[in-house]
Formats: sequence, C-alpha cells, structure tokens
Amino acid sequence: MLQCDFIFRLKGILEFACQLDNPNGVQSQSTISKSFQDLRSKVTSKNIVFTVCNSPVLIWPNTGFQSSVESLTEASACGDILQWIESDDGGSKKSSKKKDKKKSGPTVVNMKLLFEVTEPAGNTAPSLIRVSTQQHCVKMPLPLDCALSVTTDERLETVCTGLVEALNKQLADMEEVVLQYRKGSSFLVPQPFHFQLPEPAGLITVVYPAGVPDSQLQAVREDLHRKFELPCDRPYLRRANAFHFPDAAYKDGYLRNPHIHLNPPNIEDAKLYLVQGVYSYHHYMQDHVDDNGWGCAYRSLQTICSWFQQQGYVETAVPTHTQIQQALVDVGDKEPRFVGSRQWIGSIEVQAVLNQLLGVTSKIMFVSQGSELATKGRELANHFQTEGTPVMIGGGVLAHTILGVVWSENTGQIRFLILDPHYTGGEDLQTITDKGWCGWKGPEFWDQNAYYNLCLPQRPKTI
Amino acid sequence: MGRSYFVDEAVEEYLVGIQTAPGSCVTGLLAGQSSPQRDFVVLAVQTPHRESEGQPKASRGVSPLDDIDVEWVTEHAKQVSRMLPGGLSILGLFLVTPPELSKDAQNALKRLIFAMDKYITKGRLWELSEEDVTDQVTLHICSKTKKTVCKTFDVKDPKSSAKPADWKYQTGVSSSWPMLSCSVEVDVQIPMTGSSSDITDKCMKDGLRRWAKQIEAACCLINGRHALDDSELVSGQNPKTTHRQTLPARIFVSDAELDERSSALVQLCSGSVKVRGVVHCRAYIHNNKPKARHAAQAIKRDIINTVCSRVEMFLEDLLINEGKSSLFRCTIASTTNFC
Repeated sequence: MLQCDFIFRLKGILEFACQLDNPNGVQSQSTISKSFQDLRSKVTSKNIVFTVCNSPVLIWPNTGFQSSVESLTEASACGDILQWIESDDGGSKKSSKKKDKKKSGPTVVNMKLLFEVTEPAGNTAPSLIRVSTQQHCVKMPLPLDCALSVTTDERLETVCTGLVEALNKQLADMEEVVLQYRKGSSFLVPQPFHFQLPEPAGLITVVYPAGVPDSQLQAVREDLHRKFELPCDRPYLRRANAFHFPDAAYKDGYLRNPHIHLNPPNIEDAKLYLVQGVYSYHHYMQDHVDDNGWGCAYRSLQTICSWFQQQGYVETAVPTHTQIQQALVDVGDKEPRFVGSRQWIGSIEVQAVLNQLLGVTSKIMFVSQGSELATKGRELANHFQTEGTPVMIGGGVLAHTILGVVWSENTGQIRFLILDPHYTGGEDLQTITDKGWCGWKGPEFWDQNAYYNLCLPQRPKTI
Repeated sequence: MGRSYFVDEAVEEYLVGIQTAPGSCVTGLLAGQSSPQRDFVVLAVQTPHRESEGQPKASRGVSPLDDIDVEWVTEHAKQVSRMLPGGLSILGLFLVTPPELSKDAQNALKRLIFAMDKYITKGRLWELSEEDVTDQVTLHICSKTKKTVCKTFDVKDPKSSAKPADWKYQTGVSSSWPMLSCSVEVDVQIPMTGSSSDITDKCMKDGLRRWAKQIEAACCLINGRHALDDSELVSGQNPKTTHRQTLPARIFVSDAELDERSSALVQLCSGSVKVRGVVHCRAYIHNNKPKARHAAQAIKRDIINTVCSRVEMFLEDLLINEGKSSLFRCTIASTTNFC
C-alpha cells in the first residue's frame, strides 16, 4: 500500500456569475460555459495565491513559483512547509512530534485560495458601464475543495502545480454538473466530495449536485464503480463515505473507532479479524438519557446503526431509545406500553429493529454456554472478513459489542475485541482505552454458564 | 484625561494669518490622523466664500454665528475629505470669532461638528471598528487676542458634552510618516433589480458594499510582511530621518462568502452596472509606533473610498447627461452608456 505522508488540501470560493437573456433559450448553455471558461482562466492567471493556514506563507503558483518566505523555493521539499505552520497547542513554530502517539495517518496541510487585486497587469482608468437589457442575473458561490496526497520528498512546486491542475479539473467537473442538473434558471450548487479508494485510485474527488439525494445518483455511482473497478455490492461513493480528514473533529462529539488506538494481543500463529470502516461509540448516559442499568443492548444497537449510517447504507440518524422501542411496537413485537419503559432488549429485538428501521437483515448465532464462545472463532473470523459489521452479543445480564477477534486456526486460541456500552463517563479516549471499556478480552470474559445470543448484521448488496 | 492634539506649525501659521472682516466669523476644517493614544493635525483650510447676493448679514440684525451656512460648510468638508489621501481625514472644525461672540462660539461649533460628521459619513461603505476614535475637535480662536480654546465632542453620542483637549504645536508632524501605496484592479458587476432600468442608489450601495466587505476582509502584505496582528509596522526606517518612505501594499481577496444554499441566486434584473479599471491608492500612517493592522486598515479604506467617490462622480455625470438628452430614456434592446 502506497504510503502518503501529506495531504495538501486547498479550499476556496469562486463566484460563478452570468447573465442570461433567456434561461430556456439555446444560447444559455454557451453563456454558462463561457463563464466557467473565465473562471478557469482566473485560476491559471498570475493573480492566484495560495495561503497556508496558520502560517505567514503565501505562494504564487503561476509565476514560476514564488513564495513570501525566502527559504521556500521551487526546489523545497513539501515537508519543509511544516516548520512555518503554527500548531494549535502553543506558539512554537516547530512541528510537534509526539513520539509515544501511534501515527494517526498523513499530516494535513490546509491552504486557502486567494486572488491578488494589487499589481494589476493593465493601467486603464476606471469606467462605469451601464447595460439596460432585461436579464436573469445568476450568482452562485462555488465551494472549491481540492486535495492531493503526496510523500514528504515531493517538491513543493510540484504540489502547487498539481493543485492548480486539480482546480481546473474541478471547475470542468462542476460545469458538467451545473449543466446537467440545470432547469431553466434553476441552478444547483455543485459540491465536491473526497473519497479514499483502494489503491491505485487513492484519494479522488467527485462533484455531486447539492439537494439531489444519494438515492437519485445511483447511475452516477455505477459509472464510477466501473471506472475505478470497485466492487459492485458495497458503497464507496455515497456522501456518507466521504473521506474524513485526520485533522477534522467530528461535530457530533462521539468518538470514532476507539479500537484503533489499541495494540492487538500477540498470539502465536493467530490472525487479526476486525470490523471494517467507521462506527461511533455509544454508551450509557449519552444524549442526556440516563439508561444506566438497562440500556446496554440499546447502546450496542446504536453503535451498529452508526456503522450503517457512516458506511453510507442509510441516511437516517442513529435511533433514540424511544424510536427503538416504537419500532418494536410497530412490528408487533411489543405492546404499546413498552415505549417509555426501561425494559431490556436482546439480540432478537436488535435484529428486528435493524430490519424495521434500516432494512438490514441479521444472522443470529446461539451459544448454549459462555464457554462455547471460544469455539466460535471461525464463524466470527468469517463474519469480520466478509461483512465486517459490529456484532451485538447478549447473555447473562449483559450486552456487549464485539468488534473483532484474534484467532488461530491451528491452536484455536482466541481473543475478543469488546466495546462495552456500560461506560458512564465522558468521551475521553484515554480513560476508555486505559480502563478497558474498549479492550481485548479472553474467553474467561464471558459468563461460562449463561447462554448467549449474537446478532450478526449483514451488509445489504448495494452501492 | 482629554485627548492630545499634536499640530503642525504650518497649521499655526495658517490660523494666525486668517483675515476676518470686523464683526464676522470664519469657519474652516482641520484634517489629520487619529490614533488611540494621540491625534495629529496636519492641515487647516478655511471654508471658501460662498458667492451669493445680498447684504452682509450682520446689518440685518442676525448674529453672524446663527448665519453660518451649515450646508455650505458641510459640503466643503465632504469635498475636502474626498480629496484627502488615505490615512488622513477631517478631524474637526475651527471657528474664528470676534471677542463679543466668543461665549456663543461653543454652541455654534457643536451644531456644526455634528452636522458635518453626519454628512461626511453618509454613504460610507465601511463600518467603524471599536478602536476607531470618534472624537472630533473644535477649535475656537478669538480674532482679537488670537487665544484658542480646544474641545472635543464624541460624535457617536448626540448628547455628549464638550471635553477639554490639549492643543500643542510641533515642527514637521507628518514629514516622516511612511506612505503605503498600491494599484488596485477593480471589476465589480452590480445587477439592477427592480422594474425600471434606472440606476438606483440602493442597488449601487448593496453591490459596492459586497465588494467593500471583500476588501475589508482581505489579506494584506505591507512591505512583504503580513499585516495581521498587533505587531508594529516595521518600516525599517530610522525615526530621525526626514525622508518619507514608501511601502508597497498587496491585497489578496477571497472571492465570496459561502452560504448554505443549495441553489444559485437568480434575480431578474432590468440591467446591470459594471465598474472596471485600475485605481491608485495611498495611505499615510503616523510614526508613533503604529500597528501593522492599522496601516492595512488605512490603505483598505482608501481603496474603498477612492472607488466609492469615483462611482459617485460617474453617477452624478450620468444624471446630468440624462437630463440633457431624452435618448437615454429608451429601454428598447440594449443600450450601453460609457462615462
């Protein structure tokens, strides 16, 4: 797998403007194209400037590479830029390297697109021109967003040239989307989304029209799946699949994939089988709901729902306890007074809700005693390999989520990666990993005499 | 606790040399630059005589103070403020009166100063920031004794009362002030919404204000360095030298603001106005430890003021031309007017 050290991300707003005499006339398409052509000229002109966020660095990419900082020249490696960027913690200009922190992926360098209005090419005195034709004036801010993955020794100049090319291509893509979805004088804003595809494609950008839901863009995705040779049975290019940049916080405040901060147990001859993709950690006391003592299965179900939402299978939000209970009433599994109660649910109810609210089917695995779980290595390994969804397990008086196993086919040794919904604290990653609320457990973790039901959600075959 | 005005000696000479007819008053403007700590006055100019018929007012039994042509004074102030380079603005008024009118001078000055500020700032495209000084100075001079009384009013507060201020003369107040300069390419398109193709004030104002906001929010380099924070403007100049340094400024704008709309803004317009061309701007900044961002603000405001004044003049011209010829009233097909 190609290792990339940096992602250079350039964002900026360009205003698209044009005047249409007759929005439904044949001329309008060429007028629109002309405006996009003007914008493409603008980004290849000498006036565009990249400013590196949180730094004094300004770069003029179209003037044979000039920068506002003497030590950054066309020969500079792109990694040199880091010494100029002020990190959020403290005023030190040096890049902070935390040696004991697991490498959390590539460093993101954020840049902004600006235009110089000084140093003009010409010297014409100002004039005022009045046009007295009735026209439709169209104005639309285009949210440009380009990203390039590079290694640390790549030249800064090459990165900047690459970003200018990316801007050009994005404008061309936006023009296509605008023309395709335009109805008369109604224009939809073209929005760029980044996706991290399996190599060799890597980080790509797709422009989708705002306001058109994923369900109506099926044909577009089919084309792209063909173009990038992606499997046709799982989503890669829905808006929810958009690449999450390492430096961006999640606005909803839930922790994502706390398990990646753990080191798997070192078992001889064993292989690692883990949940695929991204889930949110749901647990007791969140969302101002005091479900301490009764809500553990609900929370595990929420974690599973968050997985389906973030992999792009559903657009609905993670259900609340009430919505979960209502779903069970709706399918006839519970009486109406169940809603608002503190009654426990089990794997069967989890399966029913996943089906009712998300359209997701699940397999149920039954184990007559906890000690038997140690023999289910093959089934669990297969599940994580093919489906890769989190597994809800209920038994004794507890419910948990299984996120993966380390299992040896030869010796049968097994460890379980457990996400515990019984945690009542705040979203503190350190505590959660240190105290084992997300942690690797051995077969002794289970109540050896209780029986267990496992709910293994299946991926719908769709893009 | 009052403000301190450091006034160039040339202003003192000018004020001393003003001739007044016996019993009459003379008004005039004071221009310079304000900073949070102190103010600098570098120019004084008398209100020009208005050509009008009629006898000298005093003979009709009206006090010359009441007879001051407020409209004329404020119009003069507006014209002068348009001509001032960036960094300089009208700081106040002076009033020369004979000794017998001295006691009523303060009231007259207060009336004038508020009226003038209101008139000059009407139609301004940029907003005052919290740090901007809103005090204007009034200087009363007795024509017989040449004694001066200096007070300030906070023109933000109509109820404010006169506060005492210091008035000190110095040599070469502005002689070594650095000057920022730049040439700016302007390309603004303003749609005329509304039914008629007449250029409406509101449309022009809205359109120019959008552009002005871009300039205000723009990134600014002065002499190659960012003019962002509270760091001092480094002009690399020895404060003892008398040579005035020119600092090039560069302005970088972000094209537009992003809003959360998912569709374009489409307006049916009866026409549009384009303003295009290059304007040359400059701004002076005092050399008493000025901050870089104040210098950036001064040049940006000059850019906005320059374009705003130019457009006002174009529109005045258009209006005059339209009055002369009825051809321009036709709205068939497309017509373009250049000026």
